[in-house]
Parts: sequence; C-alpha cells; structure tokens
Amino acid sequence: MDSAAAKPQAKYTYQRGKRSPMFYIGKILIYLVLIVGAIIFIFPFFWMVSSSLMTLGETITRQLVPKAPQWVNYLEAWNQAKFSKYFMNSVFVTLGTLAGLLVTSILAGYAFGRIDFKGKNFIFGLFLATMMIPESVTLIPNYLMIRGSILPIPGGTWLNTYWALTIPFIANAFSIFLLRQFFAQIPNELWDAARIDGADHLRFLIQVVLPISKAPIMTVLLFGFTGAWNAFQWPLLVTTKDTWRPIMVGLWSFVQEAGPQTHLLMAGAVISLIPILIIYFLTQKQFTQGIATTGLKG
Amino acid sequence: MTEATLSSMPKKAGSSLSRLRTREQITGYLFVLPAFIVILIFGLFPIGYSFYMSLFNWRVTKGAFVGGSNYLLIFGTWTNLLITLAGIALIVAAFLVWNSAFRTIAKGKQIAKLVAAVMLILGGVVFVTGWGQMYETGNKNFLVSLIVTFYYAIGTVPAEVIIGMILAFMLYQDIIGKDIFRMVYFLPYVTPSVTSAVVFQIIFSLRETSIANMIIGWFGIKPQGWRFEPKPFLNLLGIDLSGFLAGPSLALISIMIYGIWSFVGYNTVIFLAGLGNIPKETYEAAEIDGASRVQMFRSITMPLLSPTTFYLTLIGFIGTFKAFNHIFVLRTPSARESVITTSLLIFDNFYKANQYGVATAQAIVLFLVILGLTMAQNKFLGEKVFYG
Repeated sequence: MDSAAAKPQAKYTYQRGKRSPMFYIGKILIYLVLIVGAIIFIFPFFWMVSSSLMTLGETITRQLVPKAPQWVNYLEAWNQAKFSKYFMNSVFVTLGTLAGLLVTSILAGYAFGRIDFKGKNFIFGLFLATMMIPESVTLIPNYLMIRGSILPIPGGTWLNTYWALTIPFIANAFSIFLLRQFFAQIPNELWDAARIDGADHLRFLIQVVLPISKAPIMTVLLFGFTGAWNAFQWPLLVTTKDTWRPIMVGLWSFVQEAGPQTHLLMAGAVISLIPILIIYFLTQKQFTQGIATTGLKG
Repeated sequence: MTEATLSSMPKKAGSSLSRLRTREQITGYLFVLPAFIVILIFGLFPIGYSFYMSLFNWRVTKGAFVGGSNYLLIFGTWTNLLITLAGIALIVAAFLVWNSAFRTIAKGKQIAKLVAAVMLILGGVVFVTGWGQMYETGNKNFLVSLIVTFYYAIGTVPAEVIIGMILAFMLYQDIIGKDIFRMVYFLPYVTPSVTSAVVFQIIFSLRETSIANMIIGWFGIKPQGWRFEPKPFLNLLGIDLSGFLAGPSLALISIMIYGIWSFVGYNTVIFLAGLGNIPKETYEAAEIDGASRVQMFRSITMPLLSPTTFYLTLIGFIGTFKAFNHIFVLRTPSARESVITTSLLIFDNFYKANQYGVATAQAIVLFLVILGLTMAQNKFLGEKVFYG
C-alpha cells in the first residue's frame, strides 16, 4: 500500500500546469489541517512523557513541562509500584502465546490451504464463525472453564496461572485464515517437485513453505504480539493476585490503589507502551500494510 | 482452492493411491487438531454453554432451571418483545417498499412512497410502544445500556469515517513528510487502549487545571466535570430536554472523544489503501473531459471508495458494540449509568454481581442485536455500495 501511495498518481487530482494562487492556498490549507491533526494526535503522548518526568507537585499544578526531569520516577514505578513484575509477566505471557499461536496457525493454515480432507470446509466455517461472536458471550463460560468448574483440569484450577493467560489465545481463526490465504497460493509445482523427492507434508511445510512465507507469518506475529500485550479484560478476570497481573491490569489497578500519583502512573504508562512502540517503529511498513490488507484489529 | 488441490492429484483409483489419500486425510486432521482443540474449547463450546447457562438461575454455581426467565427479566413480557420486533419489522418493510419504489414506473412510485411513509410512521409508533412497555416492566439498566451504546456508536463511527476520509484524501496529495504524518495518525490506534485511556483519565479530569478544562477555558467556557458529569450534554448547553432526546452525558462525550482520537488513524490507513486502488486512468480520463477537482471527488473518488466506507462503518459499529477496555478505564462512579454500555453492564452483572445466568442471557441478546444491525447495514448501506 505504501508503494502505491508513493506513486506520482496523486498529481492527477490537480490540474497540472495551471498552478494558480488557489493551488498554493489549497496546499497551505491542507498542510495546516494535517499539522493541527498531528498535534492533536501526538499531544497525549507528549503530555504522558512530560508528566512522567514531573514531581507530584508539578502534576497537580499542571505544568506543561517539568522544571527538572525526574528520571527517578521511572525507577520508583519500576521497583516500588511493581511495574517490573507486571512487565515481566506480560513478556512471558506474550512469548508463550506467540509460540503456541505460531505452531497451531501454521499447521492449521497449511492443512486448510493445501491438504484435502473430509469435512475441511465445514471445520473452516466453524473456525470463521468464532470471529463473529462478541467476547461478552464467550467470556463467562471460559472463566468457568479456567476455574475448573466445567471440566476437571490439571491442578484443579487455572486461576492465577500462566496457563489461564496463554492457553485460550494460542489459536485463533484470524491467524489461520490469514496463513491459509497465503499457503493456498503457493504453486502446486513446488509441492509436486518436493513429493517426487520423497518429501511429506511436514517436510515440505518446513523446508519450502515457511522460508517463502515470512511476510504473512510476520503479520500473524505482529497481531499476536499486540493482542497479547494489550490484553486487559480476560487477565483482569483470571488474575486475583498481583503477582500474576500482566502490565495492563497492573496499570489499571495502580490507578485504583495508588490514588493520585499521576507522575508514577504516567511513568508506568510509558513503560507499558515502550515494547509496542519499538515493534511499531521497527516494522512500521509491515504493520500498517498488514492492517490495511487484512483490515482487522488483532 | 479445493478444486486446485483435487485436480493436482491423479484421478485414477488404485490401492496404493487410496492408501496415499488416507494418509493425506490423516495428515490433514493431525495438522488441524491442535488449533481445533483450542478453538473448540475456548471459541465454539462457550457459545452453546452460554445459552445453556442463560436458562438457569446461575449465581457462581448452577441453580434451578428457569427457562426463559432471565430473558424475561430484560423484556418484561414476551408480548413487549414481539411488539418491539413488529415495530422494527414494519420500519424495515417501509424501507424496502421505499427502495423498490425507485425501480417501478412513475405512477406506482407515488403510491409506494405514500405506503412506505405510512408504514414508517406506524412502525415507529409500534416500536416506541413496545420499547416503552419493556422499559416499564423489563430491565431498565439493560435497555438504558443499549441506548448508551447506540449514542456511543452514533457519536463516534460517522465522525471517525468522515475525519479518516478527509485526512486520507489530504495525505494522498503530494505531501512532504506523508509517511511521518501517517505514522503519527496511526500511533493512537497502535497504543494499548488501557495505556491511552489512563492518560485520557487525567486529561478529562474534573480539576480546574485539567487539560480539557484548560482548552475550553481558551474559549471562555467555565470548567466542566467531564468524566464525572452524568448530566446530558444538551442540558449543560442550556437546552432543556429530558429522556432519550437529551442525548449523551458529558461523561460519555469524553469517552467518545477518546474513541474518535484512538480510531481515526485506522480509518485513515484503510482509506489510503482504498485510494491507492483507484486506477489513475480514471482521473486522467475525467481530466481530459474537463472535470473539476470537486467533480472528480464526487463522481470518482466517493463511489470508488464506497466499499471501503461501507466496510469501515460496519467494523466501526460492531466495534462500538463490543468496546470494553477504554470505557471500563474511563468510567467513573459519579457518571452512573450514563456511560455503562451493554458490554460493561454484562461484565458488571457477571464480575461484580455474580449474576451469571442473567449476564449470559444479556450477552446473547447483545449478540443478536449486533447480528441484526450487521444484517440491516448490509441490506441498506450495502445496496448503495459501488463495486466497480
């Protein structure tokens, strides 16, 4: 999408050659709107960072910038406010979820895209149906399931465990759908050639398909990452002790428990945002492109 | 796709071939199995189980079977529900008649339009009657939450789509720093909703020195309660309306502003992709025919973007009905039910009040409402979409 936007075709919306004063006034207006828009979009971020470096007094009198940046706020949020614990919890949960998600969605995406088996379309349809069901409907039974009230599960209950935070998310229809679309387009000649060399599906998948599927797998990883890192409602439900809280629940409970310590809260907010920002800036193109082509929120 | 895989396999039958096919089948099932187990347990099973739970007096643990009682708590009586649904059906039918009027000959057109108008009025009256009775005898909290959700959707989705389209169209011109602008606009969408909502908590605080109060102060408006203000926005402006007409509370409007802020970038990116798909030859041809820029926008860009617009409207509406995280973080006790959307109400009934049966029944009704809205939008907006 980015390359399309960069093409000079945009010029055709102007009447080339006739650069009247109106043209320049229009241009200036466009820049004005774009810049004002950018300021509105960026301001909360600026203010978040700025407040995170203030003293408590400065946050109350609402300075725009601190007199002297209080870097110690970050240390305090990291240690005393337990954001280190929350952060590490989120790191483990996110990595675990991504590892599971990769295995399940690559295998299932491959099967749906390239293997012919009975009931394939029916199962695929069932998977897709889950994408339309709002979380409110599945939340309560899932909670009972994790609590161990529906089926007996190892350990009796999974409340306050990493299992509760990862297992329900290690497969989703969206990732499978995305990979299926890509795998199905791989030319059959490749598979025929591999089969003549004696490869089975698993070897073909690992040695041929995966190396040429970096882009869609990256998209799955990006969506999986943001989904796991940003998770809030479910972790709020299944973690009752703060040792198990992931970062978003930790951030929210900090508001509830610590009261008006805005400077520490904002430092925590910045900490919770950093991994997402790093990923976003590193994979900016892939990120926006993934969303533009799939059109779905992770 | 299935055909392609099939045709790649030899058509001849043979014992070794059939063994190969069996292996193929088994491989397929094995590959799907891990995902299937997870999705079955956490995606499919809960749908049925939710319905099962909604039929019981379920509070933390399963109680007595109560049939449709949890649903009746919402509607009061089944008659109320039937009347309300009949009203909706009449309104839908009125639109269908009106639409078909444009396809028939001139004479029938007037009559059809008249019929449609009468049906619309009738449908409206029936709907309001049914709704009023539900409100009298049913669960007020749930019905109010539907209205709050509706306000939230109407207050955010059109604004998001329009601003997104304008920004995308501007960015699509020859702009220096286009990529930087796009990155900045997209940033709020990428930001975890709890993180940004926590920041907006403080921006919309009721303190006189809060950012929101500072900004309205520039325009000479006195400080407001923002997230803490349950009064309808229109009342604050001095317009004396009550009930549904009074509109959303200032607290809900604060949340709407957050919603628009965080979602516009997404629409901009999708619109930019849509603009990139419009062939430049179309513009060239129009230019040769002497079309002005406004004409080109109205006759080329708008219709060719209509599938994108439709898609974003649909996604936006579904999204607002499912929205949870940021509303949960931004709500305040003093804003009371004026910010409780249906998904929050369900969560509260479940998490705080331990009314599992009631909550599942409400969740299923919410799902049906979303489904109905999606179908209605497909029918009415979908027809106006131009797919090239």
